[in-house]
Amino acid sequence: MMVSKKVMTGVGSAALITTMAMGSSLAVAQELQGNVRVVIGSTSTGADTYQNSSFVVDELAEHLDINMKVDAVGANAAFRTLDRDPRGNTLMIFHDYAYLGHLYGVEGFSDIFEKYAIGPAVSINPGNAYLVPKDSPYENLEDIIAAAGEGETIRVAIQPGGVSEIGFSALKNAIAIEHPGQEDNLVAVNTGSQSDKNQQLFDDQVDVINGSVQANEQFTRLPEDDQKAMRFVWLTASEETIEQAPEDGLGETSREQLLEYVEPNVNVTMGDDESFTFDKEFFFLYNKDMDPAIVEQIDEALAEIYEEGEIQETLKDSFFIPNFMPSDEAEAHLKEKAERYASIIENIK
Amino acid sequence: MELLSLFDITFFLLVAFGTLVGIIFGAIPGMTATMAVAVCLPLTYALGLHNGLALLLGLYVGGISGGMVPAVLINIPGTPSSITTTFDGYPMAQKGEGEKALRICVIASVFGGLVSAAVLFLFAPLLADFSIKFSYVEKFLIILLALSVIASLSNSMLVGIFSGVIGVWLSLIGDYSTTDGGNGKTRLMFDFMEPYLFEGFSLLPVLIGIFGISTILLEAEKGIKSEVSGKSVKVSKDAGFSLSIFKGSLTNLTRSSFIGTFVGLLPGVGGSAASVLAYTQEKNLSRDSSQMGKGAPQGIMASESANNALTGGALIPLLSLGIPGDSTTAVLIGAFTLQGIQVGPLFIPENTETWYVMMTALVFANIVMFFLMFYAIKHIAKVVLVPKHILFPIIVMMCVVGAYAINYGIMFDVWTLLIFGVVGYLIQKVGLEVAPLIIGFILGSQAEVYFVKSLESAGTFTTFFTKSPIAVVLWLLILASVVFSVLMSRKNRAKQLQNIAS
Repeated sequence: MMVSKKVMTGVGSAALITTMAMGSSLAVAQELQGNVRVVIGSTSTGADTYQNSSFVVDELAEHLDINMKVDAVGANAAFRTLDRDPRGNTLMIFHDYAYLGHLYGVEGFSDIFEKYAIGPAVSINPGNAYLVPKDSPYENLEDIIAAAGEGETIRVAIQPGGVSEIGFSALKNAIAIEHPGQEDNLVAVNTGSQSDKNQQLFDDQVDVINGSVQANEQFTRLPEDDQKAMRFVWLTASEETIEQAPEDGLGETSREQLLEYVEPNVNVTMGDDESFTFDKEFFFLYNKDMDPAIVEQIDEALAEIYEEGEIQETLKDSFFIPNFMPSDEAEAHLKEKAERYASIIENIK
Repeated sequence: MELLSLFDITFFLLVAFGTLVGIIFGAIPGMTATMAVAVCLPLTYALGLHNGLALLLGLYVGGISGGMVPAVLINIPGTPSSITTTFDGYPMAQKGEGEKALRICVIASVFGGLVSAAVLFLFAPLLADFSIKFSYVEKFLIILLALSVIASLSNSMLVGIFSGVIGVWLSLIGDYSTTDGGNGKTRLMFDFMEPYLFEGFSLLPVLIGIFGISTILLEAEKGIKSEVSGKSVKVSKDAGFSLSIFKGSLTNLTRSSFIGTFVGLLPGVGGSAASVLAYTQEKNLSRDSSQMGKGAPQGIMASESANNALTGGALIPLLSLGIPGDSTTAVLIGAFTLQGIQVGPLFIPENTETWYVMMTALVFANIVMFFLMFYAIKHIAKVVLVPKHILFPIIVMMCVVGAYAINYGIMFDVWTLLIFGVVGYLIQKVGLEVAPLIIGFILGSQAEVYFVKSLESAGTFTTFFTKSPIAVVLWLLILASVVFSVLMSRKNRAKQLQNIAS
């Protein structure tokens, strides 16, 4: 009896191990299937990364007829999860913070171009903005640069190390070019969430905040005597990007009005007659060892989805600009972009 | 009539279904209302905004309420905000009054939920304007006020404060982020721990470990004999519940509900502070608080009415400023963004239909929660009759699953659960106090952030005293709380000495 039990156990274990080994080798050799987890670099389900990822992942899951789920785990957890899974059951979607974090030396960020494979780019959020209180003495960004040039201290609430800081760095760089030696008059006040930045403005603790069209548009429509009232002074997106936004813009602010806050109406010089712009782009990141067949499969599926055209409408309805680029193109584009911004960050060090 | 056309049977069924699922999530240690809402968030895309909100608000109310069940019956706070429910709920269950305790919880919960819904409906924009008067300094002082509870919760004040300080120390482990005013480096750990502890210990595994696993270890230590007789925790045949228990408790219920609503409307202060504050205020202000912590209904009433009042409170900044008041509403905001709807200061005037839909769902969810729980309690309470050698392994398994799931599959959270289970067991053995330690852990990191940010903004210590009249009032409350704790401590010591002498 004992022997037969042992034999049974042995045979059972061998069968199980063989099945598992076959299963894993099949999983490596095949394309995306089963359950796929898409981790994102943000913990918020109310912010643009989750929103944008949900739209793209829903379409992709339907197109490939597989289960896909977006998990808002945050940057560090997302990178670590991606590190562990070369099978293709974990993918990541994030935006420019993925490489800006490394350029700014944020703990936990490494060079994504070395450590991961860059997947396709899917869209742009054109809403990255800078705002002042409605009763601020600074009418526009030119006033702010001039005031800093004349020795006034300008406090700007940002979230350090990412998309929020790159506009601040560019502004500081512009002050250094236009008013050499005065750039330290622009002071960063490090904050976390958008509510913290807003609160700093309500308390008169800062003169300018980083925000977004989506999060702050309603505040710009409040009457001037309201403590919460703000107005835009700068959108970092390029004119070309904003021109692709729906004509009605967002809320009660039309595209025409938004164009007043982008270059060439607002000029943040980078020297050599070049003006700074920044489009916040969303893209996929993969484990470096993931099967190239999966990379190709996602590229192809997304190309077909964007060709059908429905996703463009969904994205535009939520104030995203569709911007599909297959993996190779996205990698080259993002590398070039990262190099450009690295030089700005280097200049103001 | 136009308004009525917004509602159909599906809407009400979704609220009821959401509430039921929420209660189950809340009742399983490690699963929270936030998790329930996050899991179901993608469904709202298919359901549409109004039906989606019906489901999510049901989950929210159910999830917050469900936390009372394990808190009372097995001493594990199902959600962080039900931590103070364990203080009196579990002792009552040990005395065979589990069903009675749960019935008190349900009534207090529905009271808190409905009061906060009424406040939300009537005063949302006004209160949102008030909430922005609370900047870093005021938020720090509110947390300090909640921390001052440590002194009055302890059996020995010195040991209690020491335990609280350990809790604060534990909360500071991890990355000191630049957004929190830090240097972006990890601290209070060795380098090899960095991959695991970069973001510090997760709250829920710590909480479940220190309360749940340690309780199980302590019970296991007693051996199987004591439980065979079923005497240690039991359900009495007549639950001993009548509404007369609430006689004279209207002040407690109302005060706690308003505290819950108020804390909810302050973004960043966190839900656990609500029940802790309500519990302390009852302890400080009631005529007789000598039984609190030993199984007093008034403690459960304070805790449960406050944590359910959070729901309406946390929706105030969400719907009037676009800022979520707690972690669950932070997920809830996704329902709006997925539908391309802005939430900000003009949300209510520009989306009146959605506003009424939300209010209806909130009130209906509270009513459904009441009926579901009040009449199911006699069955739920029988959980404690399950033999412990069967019950405990199931609880441990659920705790492990919950800990693993809380941050979407981080194995270290399971180790955290087990480590703190053993730590909880040991600290009780060496005579330290669990409740102050855990309150220090929950509130410590926020206290630091707001303290540093206050200094960063003002550049001087005097700002804590001179920032605003609100700050002065908060200082007076802190002072009163500390003085009361010292007096209580002296009184207790005198009583003990008297007992020894006699």
